[in-house]
Amino acid sequence: MNEHAAYVELRNINKHFKDFHATRDVNIAIPRGQLAALLGPSGSGKTTILRMIAGLEQPDSGEILIGGRVVNNVPGSERGIGFVFQNYALFRYMTVFDNIAFGLRVKKAPETAIRERVTELLGLIGCSGLENRYPSQLSGGQRQRVAFARALAPNPQILLLDEPFAAIDAKVRLELRTWLREMITRLHITSIFVTHDQDEAIEVADEIIVTNKGRVEQTGSPQELYSHPSTPFVARFIGNSIPVKDYTRFRYFERFGPQTEAVLRPEFIGIFKKGEKLQYASSAEEGVVEDIIFRGSSLEIRVRLHDNLLSAIRSVNDPAIHVGEKVDVFIYRLFIIDGGRVTLAHNQSLKKESVVI
Amino acid sequence: MEPQTNSGPLKWTLITASAVFLSVFLLLPLAYIVATALRQGMDAYLAAITDKYTCKAAWLTIQATLWAVAVNTVFGIAAAWCLTKFAFRGKKIISTCIDLPVTVSPIIAGLIYLLTFGRQSFLYPYLDSWNIKIIFAVPGIVLATIFVTFPFISRELLPVLTAQGTDEEEAAALMGAGAFTIFRKVTLPHIKWALLYGVVLCTARAMGEFGAVSVLSGHLWGKTNTLPLYIELLYQGYDFTGAFAASSLLVVMAIIILALRLWLERRGSKELDIRK
Amino acid sequence: MKFRNGNKRKSIIPGFGLSFGVTITILSLVVLIPLCSLVVFASRLSPAEFLNIIMRPRVMASFWISLSTALAASLVNAVMGIILAWVLVRYEFPGKRFIDGIIELPFALPTAVAGISLTHLTTTNGWVGKVFYDLFGIRIAYSWLGITVALVFIGIPFVVRSIQPVLEKIDSQYEEAAMILGADSATTFRKVIFPEILPALISGFTLAFARCIGEYGSVVFIAGNTPYKTEIVPLLIMAELQEFDYAAATSIALAMLAIAFIILSANAILQSIASRRISGLN
Repeated sequence: MNEHAAYVELRNINKHFKDFHATRDVNIAIPRGQLAALLGPSGSGKTTILRMIAGLEQPDSGEILIGGRVVNNVPGSERGIGFVFQNYALFRYMTVFDNIAFGLRVKKAPETAIRERVTELLGLIGCSGLENRYPSQLSGGQRQRVAFARALAPNPQILLLDEPFAAIDAKVRLELRTWLREMITRLHITSIFVTHDQDEAIEVADEIIVTNKGRVEQTGSPQELYSHPSTPFVARFIGNSIPVKDYTRFRYFERFGPQTEAVLRPEFIGIFKKGEKLQYASSAEEGVVEDIIFRGSSLEIRVRLHDNLLSAIRSVNDPAIHVGEKVDVFIYRLFIIDGGRVTLAHNQSLKKESVVI
Repeated sequence: MEPQTNSGPLKWTLITASAVFLSVFLLLPLAYIVATALRQGMDAYLAAITDKYTCKAAWLTIQATLWAVAVNTVFGIAAAWCLTKFAFRGKKIISTCIDLPVTVSPIIAGLIYLLTFGRQSFLYPYLDSWNIKIIFAVPGIVLATIFVTFPFISRELLPVLTAQGTDEEEAAALMGAGAFTIFRKVTLPHIKWALLYGVVLCTARAMGEFGAVSVLSGHLWGKTNTLPLYIELLYQGYDFTGAFAASSLLVVMAIIILALRLWLERRGSKELDIRK
Repeated sequence: MKFRNGNKRKSIIPGFGLSFGVTITILSLVVLIPLCSLVVFASRLSPAEFLNIIMRPRVMASFWISLSTALAASLVNAVMGIILAWVLVRYEFPGKRFIDGIIELPFALPTAVAGISLTHLTTTNGWVGKVFYDLFGIRIAYSWLGITVALVFIGIPFVVRSIQPVLEKIDSQYEEAAMILGADSATTFRKVIFPEILPALISGFTLAFARCIGEYGSVVFIAGNTPYKTEIVPLLIMAELQEFDYAAATSIALAMLAIAFIILSANAILQSIASRRISGLN
């Protein structure tokens, strides 16, 4: 049961910067050992939340709890956290060894214990032999690893990472993501990282906290967010969303509420060549292909249907489609944006036929 | 590399013009000081610079310079740290106030101290009763010197610390380091060259200050004459050898300062490569 | 709102109280209190008194001399400053390092030392002064010209050091582009380079101008200090102080501060106009 008790908890947190309301009534609970992501566009307040947990900023109101204890008045250095800064903030005038040893030296650990711990961490991050280099002599990926080791050196209970992959080349970034995920799982340390990249959050995190305009929009596992967005913002933000003004023009979608806005995703749309075998042929509508983009492993087909430009994915193994061709478009489901809520609507013909059969 | 604007004749015309201009305005006065100082021979020169009053004036100049460097270093570090590492209201006002002294004429600098501590000031009766002499005494000279060099060190430190940001200090503080540890281990290495550079600039200006000190000194022989003031006295007394001999001491200092400056600039730009 | 601030401003970095305290204490003692005493003393003067002092012919004459010599010297320095900066940035020649280093001499050499040396050189018996007097009948020392010479000396580094970094940053591609488009060197300089260095030139010029108006040490010897003819404003203030006429000294000082303020504000406005033009913002 203890596994599910919140280890890091924020209760009704508010924070202003002058007139800017950076954080509004934020409530978050993260269980021990979990890897959570704060995901949101820039200016959504995610970094502010992280900095408040670290004690780098003070909330205007609300409580921050770590391990069940209110830590609002506990200085950041005594909260048992390790922090990895966006640009790593490695001490530029210290060697890698001194950087990692800094936290231990401040705590007056014996020099032999420091040497042992730093050597161990250097091994863990795969940077043995670099201890006498200066940060400027390291690659981006190595700096990130050293920053990670420096944060871990004093054995923190919580690891906080601010945009840990933002400053790294795209190629190394993918590799580091996997590395970081493995490392954190291995150490079983409660971790929270901030990112604006949904792929990163979905791939790395156990739980994602989506923030927007200072509020928490939704908290859940990547799958939950993907298939059950609870707010219009999450529906639009996660996945490659395609906004649609009036979904009632699509066949077999009945009017649901007063609003007609909806969000589609490429995987909700099927595109079929005329005459291609299609289970729901009678329910499909005719669209015109406007553009085809080669994505390597798949094709992105842009098709116009009732004044909406929709994107769908098609396998390269399927019969070829050409620009200008008339095709059958079948929409399996869509998210109806109804005021502040999101409702998943299925194509009615799917239901009917399943009933008939 | 070289654009075509660098056609031969134009290039050499401009270089010659520059060389002539600088020779006439900068080198000639410098050479003239040395020549005049030595005109009556080495013995007269040595006698002039080892003169009792010259030495006293030189000592007072050194004292005032040391005070100015010390106070402005403490102030410069505190102000730069406070203005760049923390967010608070009124920052702009403080940084404007720091720059004020250099926009004010040295004579006015002297005047404001005269008004603050002189006879007509409301402070004067208190100072008098405690027997503190500021005007026409050494403290006045020291204060004036501090004033005219006030922003010299902080102004060198501010841009360096602004560019450096606060991440490293935050990281150190999160690991539990105290203010002095953070300053010594994290911040100081960033600013040490800028600090030295500021100290050199401050020394140069403090050593040579004339106007402000002139207002406050009262020109008491052997007591409140700094080297530049003493030179004025000698000059007005038509002791040209003495005046130029004393000047040559300051010329030597100026040349040392220029050399130090160049060296520090080169060091500093090398350091920039490490930082990035 | 007020209550929050105390909490909000708590920074994780320690040492705010100490550094803020030291900053404010020293700033108050050295700058703020003395400046306040000027304001307090000035407030005792009535506007009529103030105007009376400022409108005295001797005071007006000294302002005219200070402003005209400072302007002349700054103009000379603006022209020579562009040339020197250009030579130092764009050309390679033996002795370049030396020239680059010596530009700072007026900063490093005490002004009084420069003053006596320039005076001696330019009297009618001096190395330079004799030549000018014998050939053209021009007196340099103890004249308007002498003051200007001293101010040129003082102002040299300002314009050069303002323009140099800007010139270094101008990509030679701009000039190459202009050349390819068929512009000759004069046109290229006028249309491409000059607009780029103009803001720096203005700021160097105003800095030099402001400094020249306040300059005392180097001018006091060469000026000769004849009222109405070669008496600059700082000298006049000094003269009033020696007569213990603090009211007059303060009034003149206030007028001087007002001029300095106008010059520096004009610079700030021109800078913002110029930078707006370059960055293309409206």
